[in-house]
Amino acid sequence: MTKKTSYKVALARIEAIVDIVENQEPDVDELAELVKEGTKLIALCKEKLKNTESELNESLKQLDQND
Amino acid sequence: MSHLTLFQLNALVKKTLEDNLDATHWVVAEIGEMRLNQKGHCYMELVEKEGNFVSAKIKANIWSYTYRNLSGWFESITKTPLQQGMKILFNVSVQFHEVYGMSLNIKDIDPNFTLGERARKKQEVIQRLIDEGIFEDNKMLNLPEVPQRIGIISSETSAGYGDFISHLKSNSRGLTFNTSIFPALMQGDTASDSIIASLLKINNDIDQFDLVVMIRGGGAQSDLDCFDEFELASYIAQFPIPVITGIGHERDETITDLVAHTKMKTPTDVADFLINGLERVDDSLNDSIFRIHQSGNTKLSNSKTHLNQINSNMKIGVIQNIQRAQTVLDRKSDEFKYKAKESLRLNEQRLLHAQDKLLVKSLMYIDMNNQTLSNFEKQFELLEPSSILKRGYSISRINGKLIKNLKVSSNDEMVTEYSEGLVVSVVKTTNK
Repeated sequence: MTKKTSYKVALARIEAIVDIVENQEPDVDELAELVKEGTKLIALCKEKLKNTESELNESLKQLDQND
Repeated sequence: MSHLTLFQLNALVKKTLEDNLDATHWVVAEIGEMRLNQKGHCYMELVEKEGNFVSAKIKANIWSYTYRNLSGWFESITKTPLQQGMKILFNVSVQFHEVYGMSLNIKDIDPNFTLGERARKKQEVIQRLIDEGIFEDNKMLNLPEVPQRIGIISSETSAGYGDFISHLKSNSRGLTFNTSIFPALMQGDTASDSIIASLLKINNDIDQFDLVVMIRGGGAQSDLDCFDEFELASYIAQFPIPVITGIGHERDETITDLVAHTKMKTPTDVADFLINGLERVDDSLNDSIFRIHQSGNTKLSNSKTHLNQINSNMKIGVIQNIQRAQTVLDRKSDEFKYKAKESLRLNEQRLLHAQDKLLVKSLMYIDMNNQTLSNFEKQFELLEPSSILKRGYSISRINGKLIKNLKVSSNDEMVTEYSEGLVVSVVKTTNK
């Protein structure tokens, strides 16, 4: 997973990790890896959301300025 | 030898006359001469003629008182005054004066005699014309509207004809008449036949004439006898076009005058009559022209006014229409502006609404996702091995391998990881 990964795919992966953790009883090492990956993906998604919000605000601001 | 003095003789004559004559006698005689003196006494010379030969002559007088009565009465009955040349029935007394000789004193006059044989005869002719039903025939004809073609019966050389022609031609308006002369004797025994012959000539070409004019100059009364004859009057009465007479005399009308369509006194009067008639036509034509002109002008001016009215009405109408259209346009324009603004406003609102919604939904979406992500984060925090260790758990490995599913034997060196660090232990026993 990289930064170019889409939010949708990232979210799906996070849900899949949760599902693995809850239902497939990974061992501690696997769990640690999964948590690391999940946490990274969450940060990525948060970043994306944050960007999206500021872009949205920017767009709306431009719209108001054009009035 | 016995003798009489002149006076005795005259006295004897006077006595003999007085003894043998009646007091008065009715006598027919012509007035040869006649004069009035200052006192009003009338002195006459009475004559009797056979042609130019005087067969008898005598002096006569009417005393002024009698004269005044007699002359007035005579004139009232005969319509003419006593005058020279008249044949009259007198009531006279014969007077003989020893010095002045014989004369007649006139006591009375019978005017009926003067109306005379001629008048009685004339009346008979008139009655005959009436009885034959032709007396009024020529009078019943209508004069043509514009009588210009004139047949003239006259003596070509007479002064009357000359007067007529020159008068007719010298009319002030320059009206033209076409005249044709049909010469005839206008006096004497043969006049009647001569005039009838000319009438017949005109009758042969009757379509060429509007009327006949019969004229002669003045002359003695006796010359008019021919115009009282039945035969000539009968021709004139029955003539197919109007006959106008200008025979030129002062006394009672001749029978020719009576049966003619119109009787004028003199040829000049006839000319005036014709000119006046034509002038009336001319006047009436001029009047018509004037009226046509005037009514044309009036109509024209009315039409102009009407047109102007229509024109100005039309202008007003056009202006009103334009104004009305302008008003409608203005209203439509306002309506359009309003609608456009309204529509713009509505769209703006819708946009704003959409914008708000977009914002809200986006924020909600972001919120919701943040929430989800936070939940995941908490979950992962809890799952992290360090946090498990903190709760008192520990992880044991032998040779770096987790003891899960691993065969553990006595004396195996086991490394246990816990929250405070690592513990290395040796396995004493296994309990399986």
